[in-house]
Amino acid sequence: MLTVFGFEGCPYCVKTKRYLESRGVEYNYRDIELDESAAAECQKISGDLTVPVTTVDGVNYVLGFDKQKIDELIASA
Amino acid sequence: MNVYDFTVKTKRGEDKSLADYRGKVLLIVNTATRCGFTVQLGDLQKLYDTYKDKGFEILGFPSDQFANQSPGSDDEIQQFCKLNYGVTFTMFAKGDVRGETAHPLFKYLTAQIGFQGFDMSHPIAQLLVDTLNEDFHEYMDDYPRWNFTKYLIDREGNVVARFEPTTTPDKIAADIEKLL
Repeated sequence: MLTVFGFEGCPYCVKTKRYLESRGVEYNYRDIELDESAAAECQKISGDLTVPVTTVDGVNYVLGFDKQKIDELIASA
Repeated sequence: MNVYDFTVKTKRGEDKSLADYRGKVLLIVNTATRCGFTVQLGDLQKLYDTYKDKGFEILGFPSDQFANQSPGSDDEIQQFCKLNYGVTFTMFAKGDVRGETAHPLFKYLTAQIGFQGFDMSHPIAQLLVDTLNEDFHEYMDDYPRWNFTKYLIDREGNVVARFEPTTTPDKIAADIEKLL
């Protein structure tokens, strides 16, 4: 299942979640502001606390709301 | 009257008089979302690092009035937000910076220097103008129209310049130097 890292007040995180929902793709959402372990994991994946980060396996990830790259990530899953 | 007549709230909710900054050059900035223009937070930090030893302070005022909004469409270049920009200059409590509910400091700043016009050569300027036209028409006045409107204050507490969000911090370094 996909995981989306984000925080409240990040419009691109909302857009990413809505896009996945519109495609019927299930995902876990983790807030990097409220959850320290989520922040640590996000930092480990992308090396930064920039979101949204969408990942399948914690290795391949898409940074930002980029539909095309998210589509590719879903296809590779 | 000058900026020293105003008292603001710190992040911890304590009162702080701007008179405590008497004799310093100040840059008062409304900061907000951590997206889009937020890249300016990092640039502001660079300004602060460069001039802080010469009596320069940046006072950041976060506001929710532009929160959860971002200029631009799905085609926008920077479609992400950053949690922490490593900012060490002073950030005050969140509050309103425009309209009737604005903090008196921002009412004062607005009365001193109105809207200066956007620099349309800034990569995000057109998106910002389109967003304001479509969704925030009531924001087209002299209050800060978006995050990162910057007011430069001289060592006597006078408001000497206003820079719109489309003027990046590196472009105002010369104006700061003149006052130091």
